[in-house]
Order: sequence, then C-alpha cells, then structure tokens
Amino acid sequence: MRNRNPVLTGLLLLVTGGAIGYGIGLGIDSLNSGILDWAGSVPSAFALLFAVTSFFLGVYGYRGITRGLVYQVLGTLIGGFIVTGIRVAMGLEPFGAFFFTEPAWVFGALVGDVSFLFGVGVVSDWVKWARGIDTPEHHEDEPGWGKYLGVSLDHKVIGIQYTVTALVLISVGGLFALIFRTELAASQLQFLTTTFRLFNQNGPQLYNSLMSLHGMIMIVSILLGISGIMNYVVPLLLGAADMAFPRMNAFAYWVSVPASVLLLMSLVLGGFDTGWTGYPPLSARAPVGVQMFFLGVFTAGWSSILGSLNIIATVIRMRAKGMTAMRLPIFVWASVATSIIALTATQLIGLSFQLVMFQRLLGMGFFDAAKGGNPVLFQHLFWFYSHPAVYVFILPGLGVISELLPVFVRKPLFGYRWVAMSSMGIALVGFLVWAHHMFTSGMNEYLRVPFMYSTLLVAVPTGVKFFSWVATIWGGKITTPTPMLFVLGGIVVFLLGGLTGPPNATVSTDLHLHDTYFIVGHFHDTIFGGFVFPFFAALYYWYPKAVGRRMNEFWGKVHFWMMTPSFFVLTFGMMRVGLLGMRRRIADYDPALGFDLSHLVMTIAGYLIGLSVLIFIINFFRSMKHGEKAEGNLWNSRSPEWQVPSPMPAHNYAVPFVVVGEPYDYGLPGSKYVEFVHDPEHDFHPESTAHPKMKAH
Amino acid sequence: MIHTHEKQSMLSQGILIFIYLAVLTGLEFFVAISFNSVPLLLVVALIKAVLVVYYYMHVYQLNADGGEDENSYEYKSGTNRLGLWLFLISDAFVFAGLMVVRVNLLGLTRPHLNQTLGLAVTAVLLISSFFMNRGETLMKNGDRKGFLNNTLITFLMGLGFLIGVVFVEWRLAAHEGLTPSSGTAGAVFYMMTGMHAFHVLTGLIFLGVVLVNGRRGLYDEKHYPVEAAAVYWHFVDVVWIFFYPALYLIGTALLA
Repeated sequence: MRNRNPVLTGLLLLVTGGAIGYGIGLGIDSLNSGILDWAGSVPSAFALLFAVTSFFLGVYGYRGITRGLVYQVLGTLIGGFIVTGIRVAMGLEPFGAFFFTEPAWVFGALVGDVSFLFGVGVVSDWVKWARGIDTPEHHEDEPGWGKYLGVSLDHKVIGIQYTVTALVLISVGGLFALIFRTELAASQLQFLTTTFRLFNQNGPQLYNSLMSLHGMIMIVSILLGISGIMNYVVPLLLGAADMAFPRMNAFAYWVSVPASVLLLMSLVLGGFDTGWTGYPPLSARAPVGVQMFFLGVFTAGWSSILGSLNIIATVIRMRAKGMTAMRLPIFVWASVATSIIALTATQLIGLSFQLVMFQRLLGMGFFDAAKGGNPVLFQHLFWFYSHPAVYVFILPGLGVISELLPVFVRKPLFGYRWVAMSSMGIALVGFLVWAHHMFTSGMNEYLRVPFMYSTLLVAVPTGVKFFSWVATIWGGKITTPTPMLFVLGGIVVFLLGGLTGPPNATVSTDLHLHDTYFIVGHFHDTIFGGFVFPFFAALYYWYPKAVGRRMNEFWGKVHFWMMTPSFFVLTFGMMRVGLLGMRRRIADYDPALGFDLSHLVMTIAGYLIGLSVLIFIINFFRSMKHGEKAEGNLWNSRSPEWQVPSPMPAHNYAVPFVVVGEPYDYGLPGSKYVEFVHDPEHDFHPESTAHPKMKAH
Repeated sequence: MIHTHEKQSMLSQGILIFIYLAVLTGLEFFVAISFNSVPLLLVVALIKAVLVVYYYMHVYQLNADGGEDENSYEYKSGTNRLGLWLFLISDAFVFAGLMVVRVNLLGLTRPHLNQTLGLAVTAVLLISSFFMNRGETLMKNGDRKGFLNNTLITFLMGLGFLIGVVFVEWRLAAHEGLTPSSGTAGAVFYMMTGMHAFHVLTGLIFLGVVLVNGRRGLYDEKHYPVEAAAVYWHFVDVVWIFFYPALYLIGTALLA
C-alpha cells in the first residue's frame, strides 16, 4: 500500500461517511414520517455521527478515539431502541418527531456516552482492578502523533489532547458566532429568514440555536483549554513525574469528547432557543435538542470536576522537596483556586440541568409554577455554579500573566504573597455573588443589596493583581516576544472588562443594562482578557517545551496585532449599541435604531478576529515540523521545566530538583529557585532526552 | 501487628458509636413527634454525622501522609484517600443542592409518607454502617473471614435498604397518590430518594467488588480498597442522616 496522507484519507471518509449517514437517516426518517424531509433533523444527526466517526477511521484506523465513537453511535442506537421497545410494550407511541421519542434519545445518549468510554478504553484498567487484576503503573506510549488519538496516561500527552480539543471547539464556537454575526450585520433578516430551513429549524430558530451553542461550546472549550495548560504545566512546575491519578486524568479528558459530540447533536436535533443558560420554563418546552445540551454539559462537567480533583491532589501530595506553600509558582496557586471552584460548584449546574431533564421526562414539577414549582430556584442553582465558573475561566489566565510577566521584565514579581492569596480570595468571594445575575428576575428584593456588595468586593482581590502587575512592569527591562505581547494585551483587555463590571454589579444601573448588548461586551472583555489572551500567551510560551521548536514569531505578531484592535472595535461596538438600547440574543433589530453601521463594523471586526485565530492555528500546526528549533531555556526562565532540554522527556525530570529559593527573583544576582540533586543511582546527562525507564514501583 | 487489646478496643469503639447513633435516631424520632423543632432536629443530625465522619470514616487519617517515600503503598494510599475525600466533598454539593431544592419548594411541609417504613429503612442503613465498620476493622487486624462475613451482612442490609426504598416505599407512596408528577412534594421526594438510591447502588457495586476480591485474598496486605469502599458506604449513610429528617420528620405532612 502506498504511503497515504492520513488527514486526506480522513477528509475523504468524512465526506463519504457523512453522505452514507445522511442517506440512512433520510431513509429512516421518510419510512417513519412518510415524507422526504431534506432539511430534517434525523438525516443530519446520522450524517454528523457518521462523518465524525469516519474521519477518525481514516486518520487513525479502528482504535482509540474511532472505536470510542463507533461505540457511542452504537450505544446511542441500542439505548434508543431499548426505550422504544419498552414504549411499544407499554402501548405508548414508539416514535416521535425526531425518529426516537425524547426519553429514547436521552437514554440512548446516556448509553452512548458510557459506551464511548468503554470503546476508547479509558476504563479498562479500572475494570481489570475490579476483577482483581493489577495493571502496570506506567504505560509506554507509541511514538509519533498516534498517542494523541488514543488513551495515554502521560499528563503531557493529555495536556496536549485537551489543548487541541479546545482549539477545535474554539473554531466551532467561533464559526457559529461568525454565522449569526453575519446575520446581525444589517437590520432585517437576510439569510436566516423565516423561509430558511435546516435541522428542522427556520432561520431565526437556527439563529437562537447557534447563539446558545456559541455560549456553551466556548465555555466547554475554555474549560478544556485551562485543563490543557494546567495538565501540562502544573506537574512540571511541581517536579512531579505525573498527576496524582493518571487514569482519572485520562478519564477526565476522554469524557469531554462524547460531551462535545452531544453538544453538536443538540444543534441538529431541533436545536434550542434558551441561550446557554437554559432557563425554564423556556427550556422545559424547547425541542429535544435541549436534552442533548443538558447531557453534554453534564458530561463535560465531570471532566472539569475530576480534572480539578486531580490538580488539588497533585499539588498537595506531589511537590518537590522544599516547595513550601509560599514558594509555589503563582500559576499553581491559581490552578488550585480554580480547581476548588470547579470541584464543588460544578455539581450545581449538573443538578439544575438534571432537574429540568426530569421535569421534561417525568413531569416532575420543580420549576413548573402550575405544580407549585419555582422557576427562580433554577436560576439560584444555575448561577451558583455559573458565576463562579467565570472565575474558573479567568483565574488560570491571570496566573499565567503573573507567571510570565517577571520572565519578560526581568524583575521579581511584586507582592508574591498578596498575588497568591488574591487567587484564593477571588475563588472564595466568587461563591457569594451568584444572585447578581438575578436583580431583574423577580427574586426577593432584600437580596439585591448584599449581593451587590459581595460582587463589588471581587474588585479588591482582582485589584491586588493589577497593582502587582503594574508594579512588576515598573522599571523593568521589557522585551516583547509574542507571549509577552499577549500578556500585556490580556492585562489591558481584562482591565477594560474589570472597569465595565461594577455598572452591572450595581443594582440601580443594572436594572437598565440587564439583557443589553453592554453585558455581552463586558463579558467578552473579561473572558478575552482573563482567558483568551493569556491562553495564547501560554501556548506561545510553553509550545517549545512540548515540541522542541518555537512557533513562528512573525505570524505570532501578526496574530496579536490583528486580533487586539479588532477585538477592541468589537467590544466597544457591543457596549455602544448596548448602552443605546440594543437587546442581546435577538436575530433582528429595528432599522430605526440606527445600529446598522455599528453592527457592520462589529461584524467585520469579528471576521478579522476569526482570521487571526486561523493564522494562529496554521502557525500552531505548521511549526511542529517547520518551526525554528528551540531546545534550551528559550525565555531565560528560572522555572524548573526550562532547566531541562525540550521537548520534555516522557517521565519528566530524570534528576529530581530541590527548591532552594524564591520563584520570581529575576535580576537578583546569585539567587536560585531550584537545584537539581544528583542522584548516584542514575547517570544524569542533561543533553540526552532519551530517558531510562523509571524505577519500577 | 496490632495487639489483641487494641483490636478489642477498636471493635468495642465501633459498638459504642453505634449505640450512640441508635439512641440519637430514637431521640430524633421522639423530637419530631413531640416538639417538631427544626433546629433541634438539625443539631441531632449534625451530631450523628460528626460521629460517623470521625469514628467510622476516620477523617483524621487524612493527616497521616504515609511517610517520605512517594512510591510506597502507604504514601499512595494517602493520596488515594485525599482523592476520595475530595470526591465526597464534590458529591456532597449535589445533595446540598437537593436540600436547597427541598427547603425552597416545600419549606415547613413534607410529603405524607409511611413513618414505620421510614424508620425501618433508616435503621437498616445505620446498622449496615456498623457492620461495615466492623468488617473494615477486622480486615486491618488481618481477620479475613470476619471481614468477609461483616461485609456480606453490610451488602445484604444495603440491598434491603434499596429494596425498601425503591420497591416498597415508592410503591406505597405512588399508591397514595404521591407520584413524580403529582406536585412539588412528589418531585422532591422521588428526586432525593432516587439520587440517594443511585449512590446506594454504586456503593453496593463497590462492596460487591471488594467482597469478590476479598475472597481471593487480594486485600490481605494492601487493603486500601476495603477502606475506600467503607468510607464511601458511610458517606451514603451520612447523606441519609440528613435526608431522613428532611423527608420524614420536619414540618407538617402534606396529604397528596
């Protein structure tokens, strides 16, 4: 057989598999309903599942992720048919508008979810343990890129899996944004019109689905993105050989894959029009897509919960000698703070979505006022996670800023203790602010003022971080390679997000700003400043550590200088139209409002951001082969991971290090953070990347 | 190896704690029917929970870090123990959320339920915790047979609890008109007991695995999995310590 390009084969199979799936779906749908509906949900659902599975079949063969996806498809069908069979036995209507009935889709999706995990093989070690069979502590990964598409227990491989999945989801979520942004470029409906039809939805309905999914897919991609950076970097910063629970680490990554498939399924199965928040009573009436959305979020939540459990355990149990609490890198502090929130609060969004699921499936009246339920209760449960969640998104990013800034200004980090504690402060205050999302939703009025003050209190620990950054930059010898550009951009953008926050937190102004585009502008400022910019900074910064080559500097700068101004134009535009009365989440607006030009400019800016991210992605993959070699301490950092050659060897440090000084004493002569302790049992050659197998445990 | 009198004291401590728990449960029931004071019920439940968390779940063992050698079984068990407790903290938020739902929707009312059956299943679960503790202690003392017998009793009692709730209590309630869709009382009752029953089921699977592997002698040296199963089982018990008064004792019963 000739040497084929796996990606081309994959794309070929993607088209073929998609077409076959579409045909099967169309056949089933027409047999079931008696009409040939080209834009129906069932053909699209089959096409989606078959296309994704076939793509990986072509790229990777029938193993790893491909087997997982095949199991997921089969599991979904089997689960669906089981419920359908039970319905037949009970004398209920066996099929619904989307071929399966809603309970059948939900149960099928759940079975598919679990089947994926068995198919991909991430639970096989646990099954062996349950049967009393011991498994080796370290699995050897196959060389090359193959290990990234199957189960690996290496935290570095998992970190890269997370990061690449996050980039894929960012692209999907961004694409959705561009589609509905295009519709908004002018008033009136242009292409998402009422006669337009796709996935069993008309244009405005599709707009709602895309808008809702843009939110949740981006949230999941952010959760995966921070997990990627934390997974890759935290054990290296601690001097650990791996995470505390490598199998659970792999599990936490792999549950996010069926979760992403479910989120996409929600789009094709009729979509949903609730926004990412899924408030009942609207979500109690939305099409079946909302159930896939709930299940997808629920599954992705487990990724977040178990991942953060692992981070906390790793930081507590696996630090190098001498790494006391006040000598931990700031990024580790930020990771712990974010993990505390993700570990606990995530359960509440899972619970709130489950309750709506059961309300739809069994008629349980939690949020149904006709049965004595309380819709506002949902909002309390939902925001108890979903507000702290934004601190989950930004804390690692703010940690990255504090981690990288001293490297590029060659000065100690100002106020280490305060910065370390400010992350914990934000995490803890973050638990007390949720109801500021509900000032207009009819909750008890006496709750408004305490929640207003607790929200404003968040500005204090966040302000500590800003003072530290400014004081660190002050008088430093600044160099501006790409990671530093993104750090500085992140600081400025996050400042803008921070300053636009208090008007929303203050009850009197929020009553006017609530549900306007101003909120959208504020939110994108905080998330770009707190996550997107630092995420890119972290990728440019640690990329050489993972690959041994650096990303192209010129295209990195193009990325930055294209994205940053466009982003300002976009969010200033959002805030402008918001203040003038533009509502959020709507497909159309009155031409008499005079927003056409603003929206057109915003749309162009949105496309420029998309283009800049495309440049980044091309640079990211191209540099793996063609980037300039960078195997040494490229950024002249004091951090331990840069003291060994890149790319990082499989089991991390051949020689353990001991912490002997402060982490950020840049520019202080004679100061040292870590010292590698020569262990006579090992023969240490710093140049060799080949690493003898770890001592058997 | 632990001395004989120490073994004895650990076993008798388990019995003593169980007597406390039984007395407190009786007190709880008495408080409910005579004063129906919510703060008092909360205090009793908290005392019961603290007793279980400290004496049966050995929360203090989190301090025992397992020594210096990071590759030793003791050190790794310490890490696993931390991981399990972190998981339980996370899981507790689900149950706390359900409590919030219950308080918000039902306030000082409760579903109309069969009190005898409620007390019976509660007793079964508490007694099963006692046998679990006994089984775990015997395992650590190297008495495999005692461990297996006590764990089997725990397993059977857990199964009894599950059957009592899902197949008896649910049917009785539905028979009296309390169904998932009958109103908020039904919704809260089935959701809370259902979520708890799901955890009982996973606990039973865990116990079953430990039983089968225990028979093969897998835990004679490395018995952390037994401890983990026991801690998880007690956690399910702690949840019920709060759910029982919340569903059966607080406030006035709503007739369906």
